[in-house]
Amino acid sequence: MTDTSALTSEKATETPPVARRASRLPGRNPWGHPWFLEGFTWLYLIWSLVPIAIAVLFSFNNGRSQSAWQGFSWRWYFSDPVNSVLHNPQLHAAVIQTARLSVLTTLIAVPLGVAFALGINRWRGPVPSTFNFVMILSYVIPELIFGVSMFFVFTTLFSSVHLGTLAEVLGLVTWNVSWPAIVVQARLVTLGRQYEEAAADLGANQFQVMRRVLLPLLAPAIFASAVLVFSGVVDDFVIVDLLSSNAGNTPMSVIIYSTQHGGNGGPALNALGSIMLAMSLIIVIIGYVGYRLLTRGERGSGLAALTAISGEG
Amino acid sequence: MPRRRFLTGGARATLAALTLGGGAGGLLTGCASDLADAGTVPLPRPDHPVTWPVFPGNGPIKPGLPAEQDATLQVYTWEAYINQACVNSFAKKYKCKVQVTTFNTMNEALSKLRSGLSYDVLVGATVDVLGQLIEGKLIQPLNHSYIPNIGQAWPDYASPFYDQHWQYTVPYTIYTTGISWRKDLVHENPYAMANPWAMPWQPKYKGRVAILDDYREGICLGLMKNGLFDLNTTDYRQIATSRQALEDLIGLVNLRIDNNDYSEVPTGQTWITNAWSGDMAAAASYMPKGVNVDVVGYWFPADGRGPVANDTNVVLQSSSSPVLAHLFLNYMLDLPVVLENISWNGYMQPLTGVTPQVLVKEQILPPSLTSTAVAPSAFRRGLFELQLPVDADALWQQAWLVVSNGI
Amino acid sequence: MRNKRNAFWIALATPGIIWLAVLFVVPFYAVLSIAMGKLNQLYEAPVAVWNPLSWSSSNVIDVWRDLFGAASFAGPILGRTLAYVAIASLLCLVIGYPAAYFVARFSGRRKALFLVLLIAPFWISYMMRMLAWIDLLSTGGYVNKALGWVGISPVNWLGGSSVTVVLGLVYGYIPYLILVLYAGLDRIDPALIEAGRDLGLGRARTFVHVTLPLSRQPILTGLLITVLPMLGDYYTNQMLSGAASTSMIGNLIQGQLGTPGLEGQGAVLSLFLLIVLLVPMIYYVFATNAEAAR
Repeated sequence: MTDTSALTSEKATETPPVARRASRLPGRNPWGHPWFLEGFTWLYLIWSLVPIAIAVLFSFNNGRSQSAWQGFSWRWYFSDPVNSVLHNPQLHAAVIQTARLSVLTTLIAVPLGVAFALGINRWRGPVPSTFNFVMILSYVIPELIFGVSMFFVFTTLFSSVHLGTLAEVLGLVTWNVSWPAIVVQARLVTLGRQYEEAAADLGANQFQVMRRVLLPLLAPAIFASAVLVFSGVVDDFVIVDLLSSNAGNTPMSVIIYSTQHGGNGGPALNALGSIMLAMSLIIVIIGYVGYRLLTRGERGSGLAALTAISGEG
Repeated sequence: MPRRRFLTGGARATLAALTLGGGAGGLLTGCASDLADAGTVPLPRPDHPVTWPVFPGNGPIKPGLPAEQDATLQVYTWEAYINQACVNSFAKKYKCKVQVTTFNTMNEALSKLRSGLSYDVLVGATVDVLGQLIEGKLIQPLNHSYIPNIGQAWPDYASPFYDQHWQYTVPYTIYTTGISWRKDLVHENPYAMANPWAMPWQPKYKGRVAILDDYREGICLGLMKNGLFDLNTTDYRQIATSRQALEDLIGLVNLRIDNNDYSEVPTGQTWITNAWSGDMAAAASYMPKGVNVDVVGYWFPADGRGPVANDTNVVLQSSSSPVLAHLFLNYMLDLPVVLENISWNGYMQPLTGVTPQVLVKEQILPPSLTSTAVAPSAFRRGLFELQLPVDADALWQQAWLVVSNGI
Repeated sequence: MRNKRNAFWIALATPGIIWLAVLFVVPFYAVLSIAMGKLNQLYEAPVAVWNPLSWSSSNVIDVWRDLFGAASFAGPILGRTLAYVAIASLLCLVIGYPAAYFVARFSGRRKALFLVLLIAPFWISYMMRMLAWIDLLSTGGYVNKALGWVGISPVNWLGGSSVTVVLGLVYGYIPYLILVLYAGLDRIDPALIEAGRDLGLGRARTFVHVTLPLSRQPILTGLLITVLPMLGDYYTNQMLSGAASTSMIGNLIQGQLGTPGLEGQGAVLSLFLLIVLLVPMIYYVFATNAEAAR
């Protein structure tokens, strides 16, 4: 993946001065601000975001409708005694399970992936190359067949791991470990060996090099991949649906899919979706702030933070 | 409230033994085996009732045991198929917790059950998978002393053909599969048509016709449209005829295949579909503002020659609270609870106290949709979609796969 | 000395390797064994055959015949999937490139704002986005209402339309493409563009001769990241259409995997799909390595 975190890209976007050569259309500056492009971009953003804004809005609707506004209410979140997310045991358990799965998966997948990336990057040979390929294969494989194979494996081969939260975490970690592995590898490649070599010249051993040089330099990428994994888990429904065993370990994404797949699920689903959105946003904000703190003083770090968090760092 | 179901399950397929051909050429071949037996698993039919064996080691619980204390009753059921309020009131009455876990397809449920997951009650076990459940020792025989409310059910259920002497099952819902349409948007009236099953085959309603995503219901619709009423046919030619009719339908109307009958007919997204009676009974909750529920119609043949079914409740073998499980089955046969369930679910339950008049009076059913109510007489005359022998089931499944994905 | 160096890095990589070996390679082999396996006749469960010597090719033959045989029915699905993905990817590019280009080059002080808005869908779950569209596209939904204001009669968006499915695919996957494009365009050295300007090229020609060649790598990488998951997609069609006439290869696989007795065929079809995906995947690996080497 292309790496932008080392860029100081703000410089590039100053409006350039008027060209000396006469433009083809008299009176029109060919290097002026491209209003058409800007309009197009706004149109795209509206198309992209307005539907979600409406869905979030209707999660606060006082009625069952998802298109006719019937007044503002918190009922789908907590006031309705039977059907709100807080009171409906299935929905309520789903929120908790989503939080549980995302935290557990992130805590396991990120160190695993980072260590893998570090090791693979330095170790030459057929074994690491093969497993690097396997890691990328795990990124590319369609999720459904992966989920089915996990279901099969956990119910026949490794049947001591029953379906349930453990199986879900194992499946989710395997599915998401490619994020930190790939993101950190890309960053490592850009960094080069100079820092390590300098530290080694100063007498540091590998462990110290890793701890004091590499990890801090990689911190933005690590944070970024943690954010990616967390959001990926919140969103996942294919694997988890197959590996869940009861309502206690069915997360929000699966509920939304099962109910919606059959048709209109009502505003409680919008409420669930909004909660998922809020959770992802909170994590993104934490990741962004964390990145900023870690890269204090670097130029262009704000934008670089955002692009790193979204997987391009 | 609707249920979304995909009737799968039934017998197993032996692909190596058959040459199954898809496509428009109608190359389906196969052996038409004897109706009565698949070899190992008996196939219940109305004229061949089955008494299931009780296996040693999987006997019923003893009578007179107290309900389990501080237990959590695990209910496994279809998505949106039981009223949470009924579940809550059971939990209150018996001082326990109840956790409802849902599945979307019977196939998924069976896979998970076979993989060793443990629940107490399966709500909504279809009759065509009882063979699998029983022979696979996934459910346990019932101890009748815990379920006196069976007296409230129709007398037929003392010994239904699919489970003589109600050894393993109690009835849950009963329903028919008919045609649902929008009276204001569609000019034809199935009650006046010569072949109402052919109602979907009208190109002028292109983009507005759907059928249920269910391999049995789909192929049966094709059969009935062609005047074939053996809904458990093993004749490959009939299956091919049905498949051809469905493929024609796809071409004629750009057919949609989903289980959203309960919401899409009320909102007008779909104008004609085959539908489950219970789904359409709940139409009133899905009508958009300003549209009266009278515009939704449901037709089922007066002579009863159409698909009827009843789902059952069973106690799972893996149950850790079998007494509570029995009490739950009993609870769901009590009239006030049943009425509350129907008011949410839409699906009728075969209690003698549940009649269309009662449902209309309790404002559970709109008067315009009394055709969705199932009368005992129609039920006894109706056609059941039952477990098929292995090879025939494979033919049905393959035909449906081609229809739902092909062209 | 060298061995000791290596040992450290090997130790770091090992947990990941073991994890992948146990929880990815083994399940992958399980898929193979199911694909080449038999069927338990009492239940619908497929029986995995672990020994390659006993593998049965009946599933492969069935799937091959379904795809390419005389009475094939799955051929149209393949063709349709490729068409949808091709059109959707092209649309993603046509819509995404200008937006990414604008934000990368011309957004000035508002760059951070635009970037946040561009990235936002990336963090909103796929389900939520599709849910939102189903509401909007219903017969009485806002899209038809808006069309009504302009005098266009309501369109049956959710009635089995390939347009809706393709647009749904675009909507679902475009954020990934835009991000890759943004990063790539952002990286283009502005001095090169200024050089083009200084040499007297107009904007369009600078674009064609300078910017476009430099964006080749991000375009290709972005397309790969978009195309590969799109090919396996089944829920977009399921949620936005439901018609038999718009089903994709992912729907067929899902149908097989969910039908008793046909899981083996589903496994075979998935493996076929994976083989097809290998080609662009290997290209992607090489392209990224080449990029890294630069």
